[in-house]
Amino acid sequence: MSSKMVEFTVNGKKLLAFEGLNLLKYLLDNGYNIPHYCYHDSLGADGNCRMCMVEIKGKKRPQIACDTLIKEGLEVNTNTPTIKRLREEILQMQLRNHPVDCPVCDKAGECYLQNYYMDYGLYKEGKHKKQKIKKSKNIEFGRNVVYDEERCILCKRCVRFFANITKTNELGVIKRANHSTISTAPNQKLQSQYAMNIVDLCPVGALLSSDFKFKQRVWFLQSSPSICHGCTKNCNITIDYSSTKFQAERIYRYKARRNEDVNGYFICDEGRLSYKEYHTNRVTQIEYKNSIIDFKEAISKIGIEIFIHKDIVILASPNLYIEELESIIKWSKKLNARLYSPLECYKDKEFADNWLKEELRVANAYGVMALEIDTSTPDISSDTLLINFDHKLAQDINTLHRIDFITHSINSQGLILPLASWVQSSRHLINSSGIKQYAPKTLVANKPILTVTEWIEAIGGDI
Amino acid sequence: MSFEFTKEELEYIEELSQRYPSPKALMLPLLWIIQNRLKHIPTEAFKAVADITKTSEAQVYGVVTFYTMFTLKPTAKYHIQLCKTLSCNLCGSKELLNLLKERFNLLPNQQNGDFQLTLVECLGSCGTAPVVQINNRLYENLTPAKLQKILEDFS
Ligand code: SF4
Ligand code: SF4
Ligand code: FES
Ligand code: FES
Repeated sequence: MSSKMVEFTVNGKKLLAFEGLNLLKYLLDNGYNIPHYCYHDSLGADGNCRMCMVEIKGKKRPQIACDTLIKEGLEVNTNTPTIKRLREEILQMQLRNHPVDCPVCDKAGECYLQNYYMDYGLYKEGKHKKQKIKKSKNIEFGRNVVYDEERCILCKRCVRFFANITKTNELGVIKRANHSTISTAPNQKLQSQYAMNIVDLCPVGALLSSDFKFKQRVWFLQSSPSICHGCTKNCNITIDYSSTKFQAERIYRYKARRNEDVNGYFICDEGRLSYKEYHTNRVTQIEYKNSIIDFKEAISKIGIEIFIHKDIVILASPNLYIEELESIIKWSKKLNARLYSPLECYKDKEFADNWLKEELRVANAYGVMALEIDTSTPDISSDTLLINFDHKLAQDINTLHRIDFITHSINSQGLILPLASWVQSSRHLINSSGIKQYAPKTLVANKPILTVTEWIEAIGGDI
Repeated sequence: MSFEFTKEELEYIEELSQRYPSPKALMLPLLWIIQNRLKHIPTEAFKAVADITKTSEAQVYGVVTFYTMFTLKPTAKYHIQLCKTLSCNLCGSKELLNLLKERFNLLPNQQNGDFQLTLVECLGSCGTAPVVQINNRLYENLTPAKLQKILEDFS
């Protein structure tokens, strides 16, 4: 692509773009609805699906847009009767051996093939009733990926992911013609720690996540942009959740969200599956020495504890947002407390790789450092009051005088106060490259749970 | 079962590799070496091929299953490859297929005694259609009678 701007037309409209830019990319980025399967921003063009045909003035036959570069004077038509007919014909061919089992397919509702048929289908009865070639419907590729051969339209996105992105070439197209299918090498399973990205990439229901399979229809899901808290990379994700009347909202999956500056198009499998943490082992009630107490009692207990202790240590989790950490800093000054956010216990050398995954398995360690919070391990004597804001280290500290604001239950005999998880709170994080990103609040619990800032406000009024 | 190229084969491969700009181009020659020696390509051999061609086992698997001249199981003594593409079809390959079915009890992708039938794409000999390749030899301008004679001479 050159830096020269050129003028060209699409459906009669004059447009400007950089010379040499991929035409399909331009059209998709600018809101044109061009059916396509094999082209993907992260993988580039492959030209195998032939779905992206457009008419170009001066060319005898329709051309694939993903293999056309923009140049001065190019005249493109995307919606002629010929193009419409072509799309219909290609769909007919793709459906020749397709099982049309959308009612039991997890991808239904977000499947390219289904969407295109809505627009370009022939809707003729009997069209799809001919004898079809039967293939396997549930091949375990490994790493939570299952493959339905019958639904595959052979766009090779999955193959190209392992060829161009991970360079591990774990999948190939085997056999030929009507019998072609995607496969790992004989007796082998996928190995990549990023394998589940091919489920996002697959435009149809051929690749499914065994974790999400048969769990929820996608049209019941709502999506919210967010940031993975699995490590200091802060990959951009989409949280898909659903809310059922009178019940707490439930997360069904994370998907990768594109951000060129952070994670590109992909996320690691571990981060993807970390949504489960939201639902497991959560603290929901205020407890004191293992019995439930009410909010008022808790606030006054906190007041007393703070009053009778001279030495107070506050532990703040490096998973908290910048603004939450700031409220803690302010409060600790007011209490004359010692504030720490040790990072050592979040380190995991084995987890790190040279792509996305980073050693510090916590979201805002770099935020903690930017705020100059002490990251060493505090001394705690038997007279010290420990106020813990969801720090991992607190579970290993043995002390009787403690107040735990926690999201997930730990072994503590002190005062336990439920804390909103990062999904139920919002604000900023800083990642290892110093990029500050905003994570919006996604979920609300059935019974509202206070965030760090809300807790501090609630206590602040009473002491 | 494991697979290794023999010393002689490796020397020949080394010689071949000088001819190509990239090791990937050795894929078909390597597969031929194995197919010729073992009458099939065992999946255990994929790794040896992938290592030399700097590809993966999945890619080798793709190539082996794409071409009809490579087989995953040992072929019968006589591997009959009947061309099913246009020219041969127009010139009567159907009759040859019928003959194989009725007289020799041979169905596509099946073995019967010393014979095995595979339907293949154009063998590049359209001018002398219909054609059949048996092992490495091409038989041209066939009629059912001619083919019957050829096969009867084998047995
Ligand atoms: S499994 Fe999906 S991504 Fe892979 S080739 Fe088939 S349709 Fe394309
Ligand atoms: S690399 Fe880190 S931030 Fe990215 S998805 Fe994995 S755990 Fe989450
Ligand atoms: S998107 Fe252009 S050919 Fe597939
Ligand atoms: S069509 Fe049979 S050899 Fe070409």
